[in-house]
Amino acid sequence: MKLKTKLTLFNALSKLVIVTIFVMLLPALIKNINQNYTDNKLRKQKDKLLRIINIQGIKNYSDASYYTPLKEDYVSIGVDSSTEVLDTIKNEKRLIQGDTIEYRILSHNFNAESKKYLMEIAISVDAITETTRPLQNIAFQVLLGMILLTIMADQFYSTYVLRPLGLIIKTKLIGHKFPNFGSYDKVKTSTSDFEYLDISIYKMIETIESTFQKEREFISNASHELMTPISILQSKIENMFEQEDIADELKTRLLEMQKILNRLKSITKTLLLISQIENEQFLKEDSIPLAELIQEVYDEISIRLQDKNISFETTIPADWQLVKVNKFLLFNLFFNLINNAIKYNKEDGEINVVGLYQNDIFSVSINDTGIGIGAEQLPFIFNRFKKFRQSLTQDSFGLGLPIVKSIAEFHEMKIEVTSEKDTGSSFKIIFPAGLVNLDS
Amino acid sequence: MNVLIIEDEKALAEELEIFLTNYNYICEICFNGTTASERIGVNLYDFILIDLGLPDYDGLDLLKEAKKHNPEAVCIILTARAEVYDRIKGLDLGADDYLPKPFSLLELHSRMQAITRRKFGLKQNLIDLGGFLINLTDRTITYYNAEVNSITKKEFDLIAYLILHKNRTLSRSQLSEHIWGSIINDDYDSNYIDAHIKNIRKKLNVFASPDWLETVRGLGYKIKISS
Repeated sequence: MKLKTKLTLFNALSKLVIVTIFVMLLPALIKNINQNYTDNKLRKQKDKLLRIINIQGIKNYSDASYYTPLKEDYVSIGVDSSTEVLDTIKNEKRLIQGDTIEYRILSHNFNAESKKYLMEIAISVDAITETTRPLQNIAFQVLLGMILLTIMADQFYSTYVLRPLGLIIKTKLIGHKFPNFGSYDKVKTSTSDFEYLDISIYKMIETIESTFQKEREFISNASHELMTPISILQSKIENMFEQEDIADELKTRLLEMQKILNRLKSITKTLLLISQIENEQFLKEDSIPLAELIQEVYDEISIRLQDKNISFETTIPADWQLVKVNKFLLFNLFFNLINNAIKYNKEDGEINVVGLYQNDIFSVSINDTGIGIGAEQLPFIFNRFKKFRQSLTQDSFGLGLPIVKSIAEFHEMKIEVTSEKDTGSSFKIIFPAGLVNLDS
Repeated sequence: MNVLIIEDEKALAEELEIFLTNYNYICEICFNGTTASERIGVNLYDFILIDLGLPDYDGLDLLKEAKKHNPEAVCIILTARAEVYDRIKGLDLGADDYLPKPFSLLELHSRMQAITRRKFGLKQNLIDLGGFLINLTDRTITYYNAEVNSITKKEFDLIAYLILHKNRTLSRSQLSEHIWGSIINDDYDSNYIDAHIKNIRKKLNVFASPDWLETVRGLGYKIKISS
């Protein structure tokens, strides 16, 4: 989940929880407020009444009850026979003209003209609480509006404040093939954290890039520089080998030297090829039917199949045309894959090369019935100079699959490898869109 | 035939000279571009071998000069800079071939021969080997008018290479470099030459025993042609 979504969700949820709690508490709160307000009002009325009685005398008011026609409130004064001193505010029910109504009643007894009177001032509970619901509604609506507003504001602000982060992710991380980073475009932001992140990512990538570059340059220079001495050695050995007066025993040793030199030559040439591919020194201008390319590989490699009596079968539609590729490189890719399929195969084994078209994606699988690759080794098979599978008959130096990988990446092709030990391996080359045309 | 070798690596230039002299070429060596430029301006050569990586001269400039003063000469570029770019540039400027270092001397010889054949349209190159008539131009083998058509391209390449270097033992490495050299490959000891030779012998045996194709024990193969 994206940071922005998370923030917005959290904001909305937390506000919702707060509002819910508040709305639930609201009736109790309003009741409390109302009660305080009513009690105050009752006390003020009491004081006022006492003052009136004090001025006008008790006579006019003794044994009197006053209430409004709707019986929402009343005031009564009567002689009090009890001895206790009363000054309370309570909810009580009263029967007035046949109606039992619940009132909030202030009871207060006082002495006037040597007599004890009881005064009751009451407001009906209904009258008090009738404002509760509308208040609650208004409060709820206002709150809801405010919350929607703040959520929107939050959303707007987080979008604004997080935009540089999104930009950093979009322009610096997604869709960039490491380490090909290109030029540095500063992401505009007033947030120092993002500024720091942006520059840090840039610096890290720059470091990675320059390290990669150095490695490439080194491999390229080293292999170039090695070519000349190898060339001299090879020429010397060849010339010596041609001399008639050299004993056969010495010639055999010269041959051994030649073999070792060939090994050095192969490694150097392979490294040079990989560095040339990585430096994009090859053109992608060839078109060739895939079936024809595989046939060319077969022509080169059939002698090796024969040697192990391996059956070779291809099922590739004749109209699959590879376009904008480098034929030399693709030839080497398939040669190495099929060569591996032979090398790690068993006697009388099988190799299938199958073209597949599924969901608008073209792919070709090279399946063998060989010794397979253990699951623990699978992630490392494309690493240079890794030799996991001990081939049965031949030596290799562990650069076959790195070449395959470099060539595939150069053509933006993906490789999927599935393998089971002692059963066989399958290397699936997935072509990018547009690399395969149907030749009609 | 006259060959001008322009190569600043003295050791390599000397080996080239030894090898080519052995094949009856007359060689001259230049260790730098300046002398090479002078020689090109004065003498006529049949072959000019140019190393691109000269310290004092751009090899491609030498190529231009060679084309100007020695228009008939076959120019072959030798370089450790195996970039595709150079290759295209070199061929565009009129180089007849291009050999990336390290190369086999036999390969150089074979290329020189191939270009000569192509360029001067030599007469039908027919070799008689114990009744087998091998036509290097048409790439066919006939045995008393019957064509041996089971021979594959690779197999013919091997026979032609051995004929070109007749009476010399070629090692398996040299042969496999010739027929698989351009393939970048993970094996350093892949030797399927024996299998190829076995097939060739089997196919020719249908007509007659190819005694001229000899196995030199422990060393390699050779084709014997008595001149």
